[in-house]
Amino acid sequence: MTNLRLTRLPALFCAVLALVWAGRASAQINLSSLDDGLGGNHTQVKLLLPVTDAKPGDTILAGVQLTMDPGWHTYWRNPGDAGTATTIQWQLPAGVTADPIQWPLPHKLPPVEVTTYGYEGDALLLVPLHLATNLPAGPLNLAAKVAWLECKETCIPAKQDVSATLTIGPANKPSTDAPLIESGRAKLARTDNLFTFACGWETPAKGDQRNLILTGQQMMADVLPVEKADFFPDANDAFEIQSATENLPDQSGFRLRKVVKKYSGDWPKTISGLVVIEGNGQRSGFDITLPVADTAPAAATTSSASAPAAPEKPLALILLYAFIGGLILNIMPCVLPVIALKILGFVNEGKSDPRRVRALGGIYAIGVLLSFLALAAVVIGLKSAGHLVGWGVQFGSPVFVISLTILVTLVALNLFGLFEVTLGDHAADVAGNLSSKQGAAGALFNGVLATALATPCTAPFLGYALGFAFAQPPAMIVLIFLTSGLGLAAPYLVLSWNPAWLKFLPKPGAWMEKFKIAMGFPVLGSAVWLFTLASGDLDKTGTLRLGLFLIALALAAWVWGEFVQRGNKRRALAGLVSLLLVSGFGAYAYFQAPDEIHWQPWSPDTVAQARAAGKPVLVDFTADWCLTCQVNKKTSLEVPTVRARLNSLGAVALVGDYTHTPETITAELAKYHRAGVPLVLVFPAATNREALVLPEILTPGLVLDALNQTAK
Amino acid sequence: MKKTLALFAALAFTTAVFAVEVGQPAPDFTGTDITGKTIHLSDFKGKIVVLESYNEQCPFCHHHYSTGAMQELQTELAAKGVVWLVVDSVAKDNFGYLKPAAAQKVWSEQKFAATAWLDDNAGTIGHLYGMKTTPHMFVIAADGSLAYAGALDNNPTPEGDPRAAKNYVHAAVDNLLAGKPVTIKETRPYGCSVHYAD
Repeated sequence: MTNLRLTRLPALFCAVLALVWAGRASAQINLSSLDDGLGGNHTQVKLLLPVTDAKPGDTILAGVQLTMDPGWHTYWRNPGDAGTATTIQWQLPAGVTADPIQWPLPHKLPPVEVTTYGYEGDALLLVPLHLATNLPAGPLNLAAKVAWLECKETCIPAKQDVSATLTIGPANKPSTDAPLIESGRAKLARTDNLFTFACGWETPAKGDQRNLILTGQQMMADVLPVEKADFFPDANDAFEIQSATENLPDQSGFRLRKVVKKYSGDWPKTISGLVVIEGNGQRSGFDITLPVADTAPAAATTSSASAPAAPEKPLALILLYAFIGGLILNIMPCVLPVIALKILGFVNEGKSDPRRVRALGGIYAIGVLLSFLALAAVVIGLKSAGHLVGWGVQFGSPVFVISLTILVTLVALNLFGLFEVTLGDHAADVAGNLSSKQGAAGALFNGVLATALATPCTAPFLGYALGFAFAQPPAMIVLIFLTSGLGLAAPYLVLSWNPAWLKFLPKPGAWMEKFKIAMGFPVLGSAVWLFTLASGDLDKTGTLRLGLFLIALALAAWVWGEFVQRGNKRRALAGLVSLLLVSGFGAYAYFQAPDEIHWQPWSPDTVAQARAAGKPVLVDFTADWCLTCQVNKKTSLEVPTVRARLNSLGAVALVGDYTHTPETITAELAKYHRAGVPLVLVFPAATNREALVLPEILTPGLVLDALNQTAK
Repeated sequence: MKKTLALFAALAFTTAVFAVEVGQPAPDFTGTDITGKTIHLSDFKGKIVVLESYNEQCPFCHHHYSTGAMQELQTELAAKGVVWLVVDSVAKDNFGYLKPAAAQKVWSEQKFAATAWLDDNAGTIGHLYGMKTTPHMFVIAADGSLAYAGALDNNPTPEGDPRAAKNYVHAAVDNLLAGKPVTIKETRPYGCSVHYAD
């Protein structure tokens, strides 16, 4: 349609030709006179053979090449709403037989209301020719009458005789056209089973029309990216699969809606045609013949979108971090001095027999690993207990992220020395006694209890690791802890191998305390990261409450450390103050937060993600300066009924803050023909449904109605 | 923008295609014939009316007239009181468009035996009936309902003797005249696409 204007000149030329033709037509028109050398054809036709010589018994792929003048087109095997398919009438010598035409992928040709399927520019129709085994040697004349309808602004039926010579001989000899035929073969429908296709009626018949759903699922994921799919049906006299195609959302292939119009007889039991898939700049076709099921094929149910997952890191990297973490434990103030003592102890005990020293080091390492294994078991146990009581521990859960934020903040404060983690005097005594034992058993206990002994120093790191490990599957938890243990045990293994290397060990000193404090900062960094993650699940006031709570927690930790652990007067009072601080602010933060709609910041992506996850979405575009918005929120959004309905629908509530008139929101408002806020939208989860636009002045009933509609 | 408009237009046409349904009342229209006369479909209330979408430049139409088969059919049906309206929806800027004078010349030279030739260069009637091809045929029963829509016959090529083919329009009119239900109510039309205005 659009190229009409560009093609005025050829059109004029054709008009002249047409006049000549019309003049002749008033007498009696003879269609074959069109190929009588007057130049009436706008299509040049040639018969191409891939070989000059072929053996008896071979099958050769002949090509009928149609080259059309600019703007002219010819038709596919189903011409569509108008036109006629090109035909090839072979005139072959005895012993040569032709298969049906193999058609290159056609294009849909405009106009839309009369869609046709065809070719512009050129088309190479391929035909396998079978040569009988008893063909005598010598030249053969292969000939055919090619008839086609060529159209531009008008249509002209045309015919042409084509022929080529093939020599039957002892060997195949490729011709100069062989590469052209080969490239033509690449434009045919594919024959591999990349997709499984299915089709079925979506709806009962409405008069003589009925909706058909056609799906294709990839056997192997994403070998062929599908950006757009279409179905070009074969022609049928009894019914017509109309040209319009609706691409429905589908995860792993395509899902098309086609309208079938019945002319006579029953509704078709099978359909056939060509599926055309576009993606990554390439076009692929698949010839299909499918039974039509009574119901539409099920939609692909791969639910990829769920809660935001923990940032994925390769396993090796996680384990490397775990190992380094374990290794760092060794330079904590209460661990480093022990290493040299332990190794020297082994040396003494082993009477300087290197093998014995090494064995003791190894057993010690096993002890460390055992204690870490026990820790892993505790984590897994807690995790499954959590599952039992119904709170699944995963990174996407807000409770988990908030808990982790609190834990990691405490870890940082601990590293800063605000408070200590101790096992109590008695436990330390027991541990001390056990580890003073000699021999292999002593070494093992030493290893087991090295962790316990070092708790005041290692707790921050272990707590950190423990927290993150919580979100992992059990096997991963074990792996992480064992690797950390290996890190902690590494110096013992290495040094017991060669005690002389003790000289490379850093000397214990005041620097260790400084190092510990310095380590607190990266941990504080990760606390901030967790805080931002947690704030994603909270609204503005929720985020503020969490922040205030963390500060109260820090204050309480300091009171605890300074006046309970290190103080000597009024320790009970200090402990009480500390506990009150935590519980008071904790209650303030906790009990007010869930009483509000769980607003999240709006972006087009969050809307799309929520809908992809099957959740309806309510969007409130608001601004601090918009009085109506505030009134709407108070009277019709932040009300118990709406809150409850949002919860029961699993709906996502998003707020678009237009206070500083960001452009993204201006654009979104324009989409709904609004120049400003308020604008409240309710999106059904189904992406093929439009957003419901609520009026500017809301009532709870209006909001509830809209929400209820999403459920339909 | 132009593309969007075209799409909307296409959607509108699609709706129009769905608007005429066999068995439903055929929508009324007003057109001007090549002699300048105003013609309403409702003028022919109580009569069987045949609509033929036509393009003088289309080889499919041309074949039916150059063989004389179409004129014979028109004559035969006219004798039975059937009205035959030729609807030419070719746009004015298409070279296949015939000005009324040129159309009258074709009419007399080729001995058309239809009731009238409507110049529908705006495509109003064509779109209203969802005419896709030339020739695309419609038979309206005496009660004003659409009795048949589709091809002229079962020979979708511009070749051969049309008299030898099974003519669906003839069959539908025969059924109606005999007071019987139309056996073949709908077929897939063939021919050239109608060269509507953009």
